[in-house]
Order: sequence, then C-alpha cells, then structure tokens
Amino acid sequence: MDVIFFIVFMALFVGMFSIIGFFGYMKTKTAEDYFVAGRKMGSIVIAFSYGATFISAVALIGFSGIASLYGHAILWLALLNILVGILIAFIVYGFRTRKMGLSLKAVTLPELLGNRFNSTRLQAVSGLIIAVFMVAYTSAVFLAVSSLFVVTFGVPYEVCVVIFTIVVGVYLIVGGLYAVMWTHAIQGVLMVVGMLILTVGIYGMLGGVGPAHEAAADMTPEDLGVPLHRGMAPNPWNFTTGNQTVVITLYPLEQLFIDDGFVIKSISPPPGEIGVPLNVDIVIVFNHKVAPSTFIYSCDPDPGGWSEEWNEGYTQVTLSRDDFEQEAIYTFEVTAATSGIGSPAGELAPSGLTSMPPLLSPSFLMILTLIFGVGIGVLAQPQLIVRYLSAKNEKALRRAIPYGGVFILLMTFTAFSIGPLCNVLMANNGLFYPGSPDKVVPLVVDELFPQWFVFLFLFAVLAAAMSTASALFHTAGASIGRDVYEKGLKRGGSEKKSLLITRVATLGIVCATLIISLNPPEVVAIMTAFFFGLMAVTFLAPYTLMLYWKKTSRAGAWVGMLGGFIFTMLWYALVYFKTAPQIIGSSITSNYMINMLDPIFIGLPLSFFLTFVVSKIVKQDKAETQTMQKAFENI
Amino acid sequence: MSLILGMDIWVFLAWIGTILVAIFCVLYGIYYEYFKSNEKESSKVKKKQKQKKVVK
Repeated sequence: MDVIFFIVFMALFVGMFSIIGFFGYMKTKTAEDYFVAGRKMGSIVIAFSYGATFISAVALIGFSGIASLYGHAILWLALLNILVGILIAFIVYGFRTRKMGLSLKAVTLPELLGNRFNSTRLQAVSGLIIAVFMVAYTSAVFLAVSSLFVVTFGVPYEVCVVIFTIVVGVYLIVGGLYAVMWTHAIQGVLMVVGMLILTVGIYGMLGGVGPAHEAAADMTPEDLGVPLHRGMAPNPWNFTTGNQTVVITLYPLEQLFIDDGFVIKSISPPPGEIGVPLNVDIVIVFNHKVAPSTFIYSCDPDPGGWSEEWNEGYTQVTLSRDDFEQEAIYTFEVTAATSGIGSPAGELAPSGLTSMPPLLSPSFLMILTLIFGVGIGVLAQPQLIVRYLSAKNEKALRRAIPYGGVFILLMTFTAFSIGPLCNVLMANNGLFYPGSPDKVVPLVVDELFPQWFVFLFLFAVLAAAMSTASALFHTAGASIGRDVYEKGLKRGGSEKKSLLITRVATLGIVCATLIISLNPPEVVAIMTAFFFGLMAVTFLAPYTLMLYWKKTSRAGAWVGMLGGFIFTMLWYALVYFKTAPQIIGSSITSNYMINMLDPIFIGLPLSFFLTFVVSKIVKQDKAETQTMQKAFENI
Repeated sequence: MSLILGMDIWVFLAWIGTILVAIFCVLYGIYYEYFKSNEKESSKVKKKQKQKKVVK
C-alpha cells in the first residue's frame, strides 16, 4: 500500500513538474531567461521561490529536531530568519543587487563580482568555490530526505536518490529558472499546508499555545533524559549461584541508593547474594522512567540468550536468560541508561525547554552559533541572490517582503515552536527519543497523526528538499558553465552556446550529485553544517562593500574573499567542535568557548577588515573605476 | 522565575519578536502598496496642477 502510494504521488509530482519544465522550456529563449527567468518574475513567485530555496528539508526536519533538544531558545533564529533573511536581505541587499545586476548585465553572484571589479578570474574562482561546495550540500539534502522515505515507504535508498535527482534535474535543465521558480511556488504552497496542519495539530493535542508551552516548561531533566547516576549506585554487583559460601559485597548496603538524580532503586538478586537459583530472573527497579533503548548492561561470564521485559511505567526491567551455571560468580553491570524519554534535551536544555540556557554555557554557545551562523549567513547565499536578479522591477521585490515574511513565519517559526513540544507528546504517548534529532518530528507525525497526513507531510518535506536542491543545481550549474568555463576559461561566446554550455554543466553537476549521494563520503554530512557559514564569510564582505562603497577595489575583494574562505576552512578543519574531530581527529583546543564558536564571529569581521584595508592600500585602476561608475549609474 | 505563556522572558521576547517582525513585513507591504504609492501619485498630481497653473 505504502509503495503504491509512493508511486502514485511521485507520478503526480513528475507529471506536474514535467509540464512546468515544458512551459519553462518554451519561455527560455535567451541566456538571461535561463539564468534569471528573463528578469520578469513577480512578487509572489519571488517570495515563494526565495523562501522555498532558503528553507530546505534540513531546516524543517533537522532544525525542529534541534529545537527538541535545545528548547524554544532557538526561536531567536526564527526572529533572525525574518528580520535578516527577509527584511534586511531585501531592503539592504535586494534592491541594490537588482539595480547593479541590471547595469552590469550580471546573472549570477560571481558575475556580479567579476563585472563590478572587472575581473573574469574573480568570477571564475568564486564560481568554482560555489559549485564545489554546493554539490556536496545538495547531496546532503537528498541524503536526508531519501533516508526519510526509506523509513516510511520501505523504498530502497538508491531508488529514492535516483528518482529525486532525475526529476529535479530534468525540469531544471529543460525549463531553466522559470521552471525552478514556478515549481517553487507549488512546492511552497505544499510546505505551508503541511507545516500549518502539523502546527495546529500539535498545539491542538496539547490544549493550545499557553498549556502546550506550560507542559513543556514542566518537563524536568529526568522527564526528558539524564544519564544514570553511577557515583554511588550498586554497579557492578556480584551474585553467586549454587551452594558457594563466598560472600562478596561490593558496597555497604546503606550507600547503595541515593535520593538525588536518576538511580537504581533496587536490584534482585541483591549484591553479594549467594545460593542464587540457576533460573532466577534479574530484576532492576529504577527511581524514574527509563528509555528502554538506552538501557545497556553486561554480565561476566555471559550466559547468553537474554530477554528484556519492562513494566508499564518503564521503571522496572526483568531480565531472563538461559540458565546460569552451577556454583559460579556472576558480575552484572548496568553500563548505561537514560531516564524519561531518553532525549539528550535533559542535559542540553538545562534551564528547561522554554527557557534560555545559562549565559555562556555550552548550550548557550551552541544556540548562539546556530542563530548567527544561519541567521546572518543567509545574506550571502548565491542561490538566494539570484532571486533578486530575477525580479521584474523594484516593486515586485518590495511586494515580495510581506509574502516572504509570512512564508518564513509559517516555516521556521512553526518548526522551531513544535520541536520542543514533541518531547511532551512523546512523554504523554509512551514514545521515546528515536536516537537522532532528525527523526523526532517524523516519529511524532508517524505515530500521532492520521495516515493521510503522514503522506502529505512527507511530500511537503520532499517539496522542501526538491525546491532547495533545484535552486542549488541551478546556481552550481551556472557557476561552472557561465562563471568558470565560459568567462574564466573560454572568455566569451554566443548566447546560444552559453545556454548550451550551462545546460551541459548543470547535467554534470546533477550527475556528480547523484554519484556522491549514492555513495556519500563522511564529508557530505559535515557540509550541511558549514555551507551557510562558509558562503557568508567568503562572499558577504566583498558583496556588501561592492554595493555600498564605491572605493572597494578588485584587490580588496580578492583578499577579503580568499581571506574569509581560507580562515573558515582552517577553523572548520582545526578548531570547530563538530567538524575538526572528523577531519583531524580532535579540535586543537579543548576550550568550549573557542571550539564551539562559529567561524562567522571572527571570519566575517576579518573579511570586512581585509576588504576595506586592502581597498584603501591598493586603489582601483582606470578600468575598475569605469565599471564602478557603470555599476552605480542606476543607484 | 515567572513565565509568560509558559516561556521565560528571553524566549518570550524571541517568540513575540518573530511574530511582530512578520507583522512589520506585512505592514511594510501594505504601506508601500497603498500609502506610499498614493503619496507619489498625489505629489505627481500636485506637480501636474502646478504645471497647469504655470501654463495658465
């Protein structure tokens, strides 16, 4: 049934997007049509396309999962998503970018930089940086959404990846940005419907906004999940089977049990017991509910054949196994157990799910990193900047602001609001943390919502993934075809050839993404963590100063861009706590105040400083001054 | 610590702030759609009237 539903829904998707791709193909006559939809896009399509590109499946599923761990404090990111990602992005950057793009006839961010500073090399290098990192980022997007479909529909991972990549690749290559943006509008509607129903459903189940938040606030760390307190616990303990007379007591009994924290309340057979029958069950009683999947134990020697049975409240476990041997000493140990629903939130949200964590605590720094890394990083995303260039006029951009603001409100604000509430729903419904934050919302949807909504939600997530992926494919293809090959290597050509080259380059990007997605190296998962930050630190300074400071020089742009890029790569490789361990084994500093800091905090001011100082030292030459004057003629 | 709608003051600020910024986006759109254009139009009309007067 599930597979049939998958096939029917995918067929609908393919059919609809093919028609849109065909219409896009009919409209695409020139390179400008392909790259910036002929600069003819209206406000609603721009807003939905910008929002759908911005909000990927990672944002919906991944960030709501992260919100379930860190609590509602992550709502600051939703605030920045609208304040910076919409208001400042459109008003401060959008209008000027569009005007400058028109004056310089630029259709991509690298081309804007290249034409503004009269340097095809700058265009080619920035295009290359964008394309390389975008392929990995797109693979990560497909990886996440395909895994979700594998779990729900049981369709093999490879089949999911191939289908998704081909569908997106075909309508993109054929229909260009027209097809991409029109499909974004449809995908955006699907995302809005899915998130609205999900949010209303979750708040409805918990009795409305106030009661829902209060229920989340009432959850103690033990309700959420804290590890077993092993300091004084009777762990490990020994017991002896048969008639042995040796008495082994590891701990004085009065010290076995403590009142605070999550501890073992009683054990049977008790520590040091002798003459234990061979078929006795081991019974462990905890002072708090336990997440069964987190309960790990060992027995030496191990008789094997263990089976585990929990009572209704998950406070007592009975362990049975094949018979023990006669007259042997067994040492049994509870290695790990987590209380409540087994979520890391018990430790990661130390002040509760609806409160800010203590100032400068690791959780506080983690939230700060997420808020600024993604919240500020949005300003220099090449795939988003193209949306400004596609606007038919300034009015369309201006009108896109309210639509965009509401769209992001319905996406990130809802996703971050429901994330922490999922913990309450899990606790109320006998569910447990599924082992990864990405699986929290899918678990709640799967268990507590009707089947029709499970499918609707999955396809809303798929729409989010497809919309982001198509925008990334388009930008990466344009970067390789137009910026690197045509401008950097070949230096010019006819418009028809330009279009052909970019379509071939996009096909190459799609194939590269498919190959990486089918056999994803570890580095792909890391890419999602630092793509936004890397793009921001590399491009935001030269891009901002290029728009607002007439004296910005080519040398300043080069040094600011490469300085930011190299610094960020080094920071991620050597220092950042999430990436350094996977690249060099461990961070070069154990100070969490440093290794949890997103490179954007240092890299961005550094990049601005380098661009400014070098522009002051190495001034513009004559040709640069001419292109600068041309760039500002409409501003 | 007292909670507002179940949230502490900092989280509540983020929560209400997000809603207010979204409302601001809508108001911005309404202002430019209806009031700003009216201002422009009225200034255009005034200019035309002035020009007419000068011609007379």
